[in-house]
Amino acid sequence: MTRGLLEIAIVLHATGAVASFAGELRKRPAWTRTGALILAGAFVLELAVLALLGASGSAVPVRSGGDYLLALGCLVLGLHLVLGLGRGLPGIALVLPASSAAMVAAGLVLPSAPASGAALEQRGWLLAHTAVATAGMGALAVAFAMSILFLVKDRALKHKRSVGMLERFPSLETIDRVGFHAMLWGFSLLTLGIATGLAMQAELHRPLFGWTAKEVFPILAWLVFAFLLAARRSRGVSGRRSAFLAIAGFALGILTVLGMPR
Amino acid sequence: MITLVGMNHRSAPLDLRERACFGDDELPGALSRLLAGPGIAEAMILATCNRVEILVRGDDPGSAAATVRSFLATERRIEPEILEGHVYVHEGSKAARHVFAVACGLDSMILGEPQILGQVKRAYEAARRCQATGPVLDRLLQHALAAAKRTRSATGISRHAVSIAFAAAKLARSLFDDLRGRRVLLLGAGKMTELAARHLVSQGVGSLTIANRTYARAQTLAEALSGSALTWDDVPQALERVDIVLTGTAAAAPVLTCETVRRALSARRGQPLLLVDIAVPRDVEPETNTLEGVYLYDVDDLQEIVDDGLGERRRAAEEARRLLEIEVVAFDRWRQVADLGPTIAALRERLHAVGREEIARFGRRLAPLGEAERAAVEELLRSVVQKILHTPTVTLKAAADRGEAARFAALYREIFGLDLTERDEGEGSGPQRLIRGGKDE
Repeated sequence: MTRGLLEIAIVLHATGAVASFAGELRKRPAWTRTGALILAGAFVLELAVLALLGASGSAVPVRSGGDYLLALGCLVLGLHLVLGLGRGLPGIALVLPASSAAMVAAGLVLPSAPASGAALEQRGWLLAHTAVATAGMGALAVAFAMSILFLVKDRALKHKRSVGMLERFPSLETIDRVGFHAMLWGFSLLTLGIATGLAMQAELHRPLFGWTAKEVFPILAWLVFAFLLAARRSRGVSGRRSAFLAIAGFALGILTVLGMPR
Repeated sequence: MITLVGMNHRSAPLDLRERACFGDDELPGALSRLLAGPGIAEAMILATCNRVEILVRGDDPGSAAATVRSFLATERRIEPEILEGHVYVHEGSKAARHVFAVACGLDSMILGEPQILGQVKRAYEAARRCQATGPVLDRLLQHALAAAKRTRSATGISRHAVSIAFAAAKLARSLFDDLRGRRVLLLGAGKMTELAARHLVSQGVGSLTIANRTYARAQTLAEALSGSALTWDDVPQALERVDIVLTGTAAAAPVLTCETVRRALSARRGQPLLLVDIAVPRDVEPETNTLEGVYLYDVDDLQEIVDDGLGERRRAAEEARRLLEIEVVAFDRWRQVADLGPTIAALRERLHAVGREEIARFGRRLAPLGEAERAAVEELLRSVVQKILHTPTVTLKAAADRGEAARFAALYREIFGLDLTERDEGEGSGPQRLIRGGKDE
């Protein structure tokens, strides 16, 4: 049943992402609105799948790379829907729904592994660690989306694209501000995620750092964002350089999935 | 019938439009003299720099137009033969369509310009204050103003840039959330830079600093624009603080080099900088656009935006005309139903009169009936008349919906032998009664 629901959710998610993308690109508000409604339906279904996974026996909600990507995709979709409320951010529908759909689709493709004995033993720590780390990556996904928008808009401005093209995106200032705030939240939550991960390892009497992908990539992502935030504060690094670093940081963070059970 | 007599930037030269224009303080007197003219029931005068239009409701369209022409000639001391070649006259639906188009900016010199909506609104308010409008012009103007607002919003016609200054402000909004609080540096104190600066000031920019080779000219312009003046040598330092630079000097070589801007960037801490160069030859070295966070637009780039904007406005105007046509048809239907009022009322009056006559004729035979029975018979007769009236009335209104009100009304008058002039003016019904309730009462 869970898989069936997930399949319906991913079909809705992909359809909503396409409708939102096309609506934004072709300046058809009706398509964007329809896309948002379909995406909202997909979000509810994905939440239901996550709840069912959590409730199924002794498994924790995030027990494998697939589960992680599913939870992250669902979270990013939720953030997209929240950012789309009110005045909304034009252009964001070009990036977030598509990337979140890709995450959920990858979650569907990757096999789900049963929870290990150790994970069950430290269920509380594992829940806290995965929840915080996933939330952090969700916020960093928004920063990633904003970086993409920044690069597209910067290029459009530099190459004197038509005003119609420029109007499809928020002002550079807005993109930068939203991206920066998302980065701040993402970095803080990622720091907390790494700290809870270390605490869990200590509880299990395991070495704190094992040179696995699951440990190396979050640390690398953390280092990139730490450098970026420090450079931004001390030297005012922003614009394209900041956008490229944010994209690289997010890409490193998402590679964490390589170290997860498959 | 609605009649519009007017002249605009296409039909009349500026000196004639100037002569025909009415000042705000002249409107009450002019409206009252216009209403005193033969057959003019309602009136409104719209006078802007590009048009003078007089809208009236008159009993007879031909005579209303002649009255307004003569009023305009007398009032503004313009020879009738000069006026003749420069005014246009629209009547009925055409007049209504013209009012809708004017309110939406579709008849403006700059297609879709937004100021005209406010000007029409003010002209209507002035006419209302003078009690010069009645139900028909009230309905027309309220409908036109609301429709123009809806149409402008639906088509976004005024969003597209049609001037260099507008394009510069639009670009600035692509970079910054809001122009309020933004710091603008003006290089050069020529006419073009002044115009563009005035537009930015009208958009609410925070501060304006002006630098010119001749400091005194910078000071003069700074005073005019409530800004501050700067010596030319201080420009590199100013570049570190401002958000927008607008340049338009007459220099033969670039006054702002890539190196000067590069040096300022380190102190800007990543803040984007918009350079708008409207000078020919250019004031800013083109390579400056390659610097990170610097966006340089020259006069050709701005002209492309203006051309795009004009094209977009033309496309939006097509859509706006289509939307307005729906509104014009709706107003026209209302007007036609209003025009049917006297015929419907006369028909009703005629049949009820027949009923009353028959009651009177049968008076003696009905005498033995008691008060209650007699009232019941009268009520029965009224009800029969009402039922008979129902279908002809509905048919007449349906004819109005099809735009055939006048033909059907004439037919009814002939079939039922209705003479509208015989009717008591106070007994009109439906929209027509509203019309009678206009300024005449």
